[in-house]
Amino acid sequence: MANSIRAFGTRRATLAGFLLVLLFSLAACSSQSRGGAYHFQWDITFTSIFQPNGSIINGLWLTIGISIVAQLLGVGLGIIAALGRMSRVWPFRIVANFYIWFFRGTPLIVQLTFLFYGLLISKVLVWPSIEIGPFVIAAEVFAGTLILGINEGAYMAEIVRAGILAVDPGQTEAAKSLGMNYRQTMTRIVLPQAARVIIPPLGNEFNNMIKNTSLLYVLAVFELYTTFESYSTTSFHYFEYFVACCFWYLLLTTLWAFVQGWLERRFARGTLPTPDAGGPNLRERLLGQRGPGAGGADAIGGH
Amino acid sequence: MSTNAISHDLLGAIGGVPRPDVDVVVDARDVNKWFGRLHVLKDVCLQVKRQEVVVIIGPSGSGKTTFIRCVNHLEKIQSGRIFVNGHLIGYREAGANKVVEDKEKNIARQRMEIGMVFQRFNLFPHMTALENIIEAPIQVRGMSRDEAVATGRALLERVGLAAKEKVYPNQLSGGQQQRIAIARALAMKPALMLFDEPTSALDPEMIGEVLEVMKELAREGMTMIVVSHEMGFAREVANRVVMMDDGVVVEEGTPDQVFSSPTQERTKTFLSKIL
Repeated sequence: MANSIRAFGTRRATLAGFLLVLLFSLAACSSQSRGGAYHFQWDITFTSIFQPNGSIINGLWLTIGISIVAQLLGVGLGIIAALGRMSRVWPFRIVANFYIWFFRGTPLIVQLTFLFYGLLISKVLVWPSIEIGPFVIAAEVFAGTLILGINEGAYMAEIVRAGILAVDPGQTEAAKSLGMNYRQTMTRIVLPQAARVIIPPLGNEFNNMIKNTSLLYVLAVFELYTTFESYSTTSFHYFEYFVACCFWYLLLTTLWAFVQGWLERRFARGTLPTPDAGGPNLRERLLGQRGPGAGGADAIGGH
Repeated sequence: MSTNAISHDLLGAIGGVPRPDVDVVVDARDVNKWFGRLHVLKDVCLQVKRQEVVVIIGPSGSGKTTFIRCVNHLEKIQSGRIFVNGHLIGYREAGANKVVEDKEKNIARQRMEIGMVFQRFNLFPHMTALENIIEAPIQVRGMSRDEAVATGRALLERVGLAAKEKVYPNQLSGGQQQRIAIARALAMKPALMLFDEPTSALDPEMIGEVLEVMKELAREGMTMIVVSHEMGFAREVANRVVMMDDGVVVEEGTPDQVFSSPTQERTKTFLSKIL
């Protein structure tokens, strides 16, 4: 069994390596076909990965910070909007439905441009910069994070609603019969159980969020993408810089995968016969979950 | 042996028999309920006195579960009145013999006094046995954590599950889960306990341990309404048996009257099928 798992991993690595070589040769060929070979300056890539300068580090922290704050905002708004959609009070339903309809129905880049430049230039809302102690959050960072969070809330609303609907109605009845009110029933009984169902899609959402921060390019927020883009335009070394750019995004999304695995185990309490068996482990997370079919196919392919 | 035996003095764990202020704990008057066009309760009247154990029997679909759920307002009613401890349940008078549904806060307060045990246990799966029991006393009654834990442990011990304190519900058998569900309801010190077919979802060998807890409660003077098909239990502990069919109370009387000499034809056919 251990053998087949190793074979599984090796094969994947080989495939990835093969594709990378193919990509590089294609790039090299096409540049030569136009006459005048392109000289890859790999030191740019290596420096951007192993000795990143202040701008790159700054961009990295901005991407991380904006993603986390926007996602937290999105989860909060998502819970409120989900409860609004399921409310017995019809004005709540109308407002929640409109919110979800608008922010899921228009592109994020349109929302960013409209809500930042549109409101700013028409002076409907002059976005302020925020001072927190010694730190100043620029207006475009503040606005960008807020808009990303509001957009995210519309998607989270449906995920949270699905999670709540997945909880056995008997749980609500038991809570009510013990004298719990709506707030206690939701926060103590229903949402903690819904969380288990919400976390896998939430993992997807946050993964998207990390990447979607790159759209703040349109607001000239110098996060990871904008930083690399600006270096590329001035030096024309797109290829070298963007290999490094991919590296940083992959690092963030990979780290998140570990955090998600931990969260899944944390919220699986009481749902599995042994308390610590929940959620995929490290190997499963990297190589994909192995169903009963996968082992069989490997055994044939690997030997 | 002593660790998992059901001990006497269950109510001692919560400071003795909770005393309702009134002699008639439940007073249901002309209760009517419809599910859409289906008339499920038809002018149901039922009184339960203090420390009385009433067992409701009847075929499925007769409205007995619906009725018991109306008593703590898990179901709305369309006409009639249900009083528990002298207070109108789920509604407030709005003049001219009309009622409107009460505020959520008030309904929650009324439910504190009414314990309910469900057919499917409905324990909170993300909490351990002890956490299940102490949750409502802390959150709803505002009891200190130490006091709630002490009460919870005493209750667990008396339903014979002291060793299962830190165990999650899905690691317990159905009978154990139901005993914890009873302990959870008792921890709120209710004046009335409602049991909705508490043994119907259990494997046969586990029914006994749950009935044992219920019998002990009855002996100690808890006021109870039990929807059940356990005729042996009804015979042994019920003060009164109520036969329902098609949303109507067909017959009621002592277990002896109802089981040995039923007056209604419907009761006779029902009993002949199950006894």
